[in-house]
Amino acid sequence: MQYGMIIDLERCVGCHACTIACRAEWEVPVPYQRNWVKRLGPTMTDDGMASTYYPGLCNHCDKPPCVAECPADPVEMTFTAKNSKTKTMNVAATWKDPFDGSVQIDKDRCLGCGACADACPYGARYVNPALADDDSAGKADKCTYCKPRVEAGLDPACVQTCITGARIFGDLSDPNSAVSQYVKKGAKGLEVKGGHIGPNSRYYGNKKDMGLLFADYTPELADMASVKRRAMMASMVKPAMKKAKDIGILGLAGAMLVKGFSENEDNK
Amino acid sequence: MSPSEDIARVYRFLSQCMQYPDTEWMNEEFFNVLYNLLGTLGALEDGVTIKKEIDNSADPIEDLQVEYTRLFINGVPHVVAPPYGSVYMDKALQGTFAGNTLAFYREKGFGMEDDADFPDHLIHELEFLSLMAEEHDLAGEEEFLKKLFRPWYGLFQARVTEEAHHPYYRVIVQLIDFFTKEEEKDGFQPNKA
Amino acid sequence: MAFNLTRRKFLQTASLAAASVPLAKVVSASTGISRSALEAKGTFGDKTVTGGICEMCFWRCQLVGKVRDGRLMKLEGNPKSIDNGTAICARGNAGVQLLYDVDRLKYPMKNVGKRGEPKWKRISWKEALDECGSKLKKTVDQYGAQGICVFPHGSSAKYPMHYFERAVGTHNVSEASFFQCRGIRDTAYVATIGKAPGEKIDMPNTKVLFFIGDHLGENIHVSHIKQYIQGLQNGAKLIVADPRFSASAAKADIWVQIKPGTDTAYMLAIMNYLVKNNKYDKAFVEDHTEGFDEFFAAIKEWTLEKAAKECDIPAEQIKEVAEMLAANAPHVGIHPGRHVSWHGNDFQRQRALACLTGILGAYYVKGGWVPAKGPKVGGVSWAKEDHGQEFDLNQDHQKDEKIYPFKPPGTPTELIRDCAISGKPYPIKSCVVWGQNPLQTIPGQQKMKDLFNAMDFVMCVDVMPTDVTAWADILLPEPSYLERFDFIKTGTQWDLSKEHQQYISARMPLVPPMFERKDQIYITNEIAKRMGHEAKIPVQTIEELVDKSLATANLSIEKLKAEDGIHIQPGKDPYGVPEDFTVMLFNEEIEDTGHPGAPTYIAVPDTPEGYARLLYGRAPVHTFNRSQNNVWLHNAMPDNPVWVNDKVAAKIGLVDGDTVGFVNSEGVESRTTTTVKVTAGIRKDCVYMYHGYGSANPLMTIGVGAGVDDQSLITKLAIDPETGCSGMRNNFVKLIKDGKVLDLSA
Repeated sequence: MQYGMIIDLERCVGCHACTIACRAEWEVPVPYQRNWVKRLGPTMTDDGMASTYYPGLCNHCDKPPCVAECPADPVEMTFTAKNSKTKTMNVAATWKDPFDGSVQIDKDRCLGCGACADACPYGARYVNPALADDDSAGKADKCTYCKPRVEAGLDPACVQTCITGARIFGDLSDPNSAVSQYVKKGAKGLEVKGGHIGPNSRYYGNKKDMGLLFADYTPELADMASVKRRAMMASMVKPAMKKAKDIGILGLAGAMLVKGFSENEDNK
Repeated sequence: MSPSEDIARVYRFLSQCMQYPDTEWMNEEFFNVLYNLLGTLGALEDGVTIKKEIDNSADPIEDLQVEYTRLFINGVPHVVAPPYGSVYMDKALQGTFAGNTLAFYREKGFGMEDDADFPDHLIHELEFLSLMAEEHDLAGEEEFLKKLFRPWYGLFQARVTEEAHHPYYRVIVQLIDFFTKEEEKDGFQPNKA
Repeated sequence: MAFNLTRRKFLQTASLAAASVPLAKVVSASTGISRSALEAKGTFGDKTVTGGICEMCFWRCQLVGKVRDGRLMKLEGNPKSIDNGTAICARGNAGVQLLYDVDRLKYPMKNVGKRGEPKWKRISWKEALDECGSKLKKTVDQYGAQGICVFPHGSSAKYPMHYFERAVGTHNVSEASFFQCRGIRDTAYVATIGKAPGEKIDMPNTKVLFFIGDHLGENIHVSHIKQYIQGLQNGAKLIVADPRFSASAAKADIWVQIKPGTDTAYMLAIMNYLVKNNKYDKAFVEDHTEGFDEFFAAIKEWTLEKAAKECDIPAEQIKEVAEMLAANAPHVGIHPGRHVSWHGNDFQRQRALACLTGILGAYYVKGGWVPAKGPKVGGVSWAKEDHGQEFDLNQDHQKDEKIYPFKPPGTPTELIRDCAISGKPYPIKSCVVWGQNPLQTIPGQQKMKDLFNAMDFVMCVDVMPTDVTAWADILLPEPSYLERFDFIKTGTQWDLSKEHQQYISARMPLVPPMFERKDQIYITNEIAKRMGHEAKIPVQTIEELVDKSLATANLSIEKLKAEDGIHIQPGKDPYGVPEDFTVMLFNEEIEDTGHPGAPTYIAVPDTPEGYARLLYGRAPVHTFNRSQNNVWLHNAMPDNPVWVNDKVAAKIGLVDGDTVGFVNSEGVESRTTTTVKVTAGIRKDCVYMYHGYGSANPLMTIGVGAGVDDQSLITKLAIDPETGCSGMRNNFVKLIKDGKVLDLSA
């Protein structure tokens, strides 16, 4: 199974409903974003005057360059498929789900170093300062293909609010799915220049609009040397001292929680 | 009396200072207590400034009501310094920050009364701090100050200091600052006092 | 102040007993819950509240709210809706930010300073209402009911407006939103087909869509956009006349890069071609039009060549468009537009659109102009009373006729202002402003201020402290559209080819009103009691009003709630021309008023040498100026780059991303700057920018100085002679870069 999203540029009117709905659903703080809409053109192209949109989001790539760079200590994690099959893997704080193909983050273990954000050629990740804790200035964050919503049987928030039905979500490995039908019709992902990472958010449109989109927004792979340097630095300064202190404080807070209702009443 | 109970009273007094001015509580006795506190802190001249302003006014309470409304409720066309954390952290009322504040109260076993304002209102945050102090939950008090009070209070205070016409509010926001800021630079440590 | 002690030292040394004033405990005990650490939970697990109706714009989509701990986290389209469905636009999604806007009015306030330079103080409702009631009553006692003037706007102002018109009995009520927007469209269509057209084009089922300046996509109304995209998906051809390659032009089959202001000439040529070549709908013209001969005689001069020259487009393309329309008639959608007050020749252009629809037979047919048949729901309000014509300012008592016979209901603002300022023919001494901002919506700010200064008493009711609220003596806070009952919204399924369905929904609060906001029924009734109209009060609460209105359709709030906020019932087939439906191709009544009875092209001033015409339009994330301060929307499109033709830009050395200011032909400079967008997608003689940017207000913390305010450069208003509406596209600008004024000569 591989989740994917189609953006039908023939239907898209560039209205931004998707970006604001995402912001509300996941409390994404301004100016960060899990998805975006950029307007392209009007520009004279070989196929005539063109203007279209680049509604972008995480591509949940086949070979996500972000995942490999995570410096967090790997832990064993067991994944469960819809049919209850399980698979256990060693994963850092971000991974590609072996069953649904989505790329996810464990915020509790994320160091907030931003190496994954630097590694993403699409700029789909950000370090969310609203999630800062005592160890970090924030946590890596991005589109999850609305995994919790999808697991609850709902559409992703951006799909649900899309006015024109321009966003279609589904399983790319199922040849009968609506998204696969689009791929057959010619929907394409914004593959990186000279590489193959297999983006699973794909675009469909007429020749001139697709031409404009791919001319303007075909990305290059990030400079991995600098990404690696950053990840290494982060892993070196894992704040062991601070962690110990936190445990003490957490213990204290825990003790306070036990105290409960009646005592508060007494204080009234 | 333990210092913790003292600080609880201070927090409560400060929260009272930030209530909408009304003759029911904002009376001679209140101002005497305030002047006394300022005197204890070696800031009698601030008390004198407030007193002068009040003595020179035909209707000092209305002056303060007008000032309170302009600073904290509605100004023309914009309110100066809404006393809610979310306004500074999320740029609107009832943002994620307000939710986190309520979650913290709940973690500590408290909730909001039906007729209360939003959880991140300055008054309620001070009230909560006083409750933390009353319960000798020093870690809770410090954690709250660090995570949910100080991050916005400085921005709020700066706006009031800059924009206030009446010395009363300039002094009160500084008083609140004084009683809430120290541990910030010392890091995350229980109050040894 | 200098506190020399530290807090810790202070606690060690000082006694605080004197400072501890006993206080009521507001924070009380409750069950303890710990929050899950870092991951946002998503709102889908939050409580769903149904019955919301959006008001971020006037389209009013149906909503549900996601509520967590009393906070409205998210708005979504109501899944039961057959109009917007689960979809809402960017603005609808950002309604949460408006709900929690810190600047919203919270408590009743009294101005203890001067009018226009207020010193507000919070007061109790009782004090506020006593003041309003006694001051208004005094005016009526002293000067009569006509001594009160009312400026209402929006659904919450309807009940108070009826109170003052009907129970109190003043004619001096003036609603805005007419002169700068769709008023011309409505009066022109009324003068042609007897009714206002709305935007009722059966787009999903049309074969050709014809837009004059409509830029759907940049201009977003949810079910309208659904219709539009469905039409294109179903294979409709799209013709877009626009000087700019707009969002719609980008999806068009034919982009007509027309010279601004010449649209009427363009359509006259199309109509002339259709008639001359026998390509019009003869049967429809025979059965359902009047004045065909006069009409044809009047437009005959408009050959393809003549129009091509006037409109600066190829004659061949006009012919291509005319042929495309003829080949697909009557299933063609000639869009009436919405904001149409452009050039001061707009009434005639709107007439031309209506007539073009007529000669193509495109009324009440699949794909044409089709008003869907919605359900009937009665309204409940104050009982109507006849107060005679004696104090009606719109009545010419000597001639015994109306001064402006084609004006909308109410009294024209100008007549009220003149009367109030001069005191003639009678004094107007109290003013009620309810949800309107006449300082910004009506040209002539100073006159409005003079009116307020002539008053004994001014009260305002609003959600936000708009500019006009500074002129109130008493300012009362209303709940927003997310916190109140009021509007009953009805309609049909958006695709008329689908199963005919009708819906009835009523706006219900998604969260309770915060602070001390009170609804229009409470405020109006309390004032009515104090003015001696208690016996006439029609309903006690807003819920009662909604229930009584719904009862006419056999519904109630409870029933609607049980149906998740929307009642759906079988609908009716909307197609088929009513027998008495008539298109006035030539209208004698218009001719009698001294204006052309057949659609006529009136040339607009040419662009002066060195200038470009300033065009403006909608950004999909903003509703006029209203949403500028919304941080979510602002962040989505933070400024409004000015579109400059690439050849013009190259000639004067402008490149994409340059920062520029503006100066208009009357010497007015923009307060702020914006960036340049160099594009082939605009004519050389125009520049374009999104409307709704560049707030001058320093306390608009988000929107201030972001982009340029097009309104500030629109200093010349072209008055449409038939309607008196103000056209705003006859203003010309140069750009200023690095302090140097640049000529924009093509």
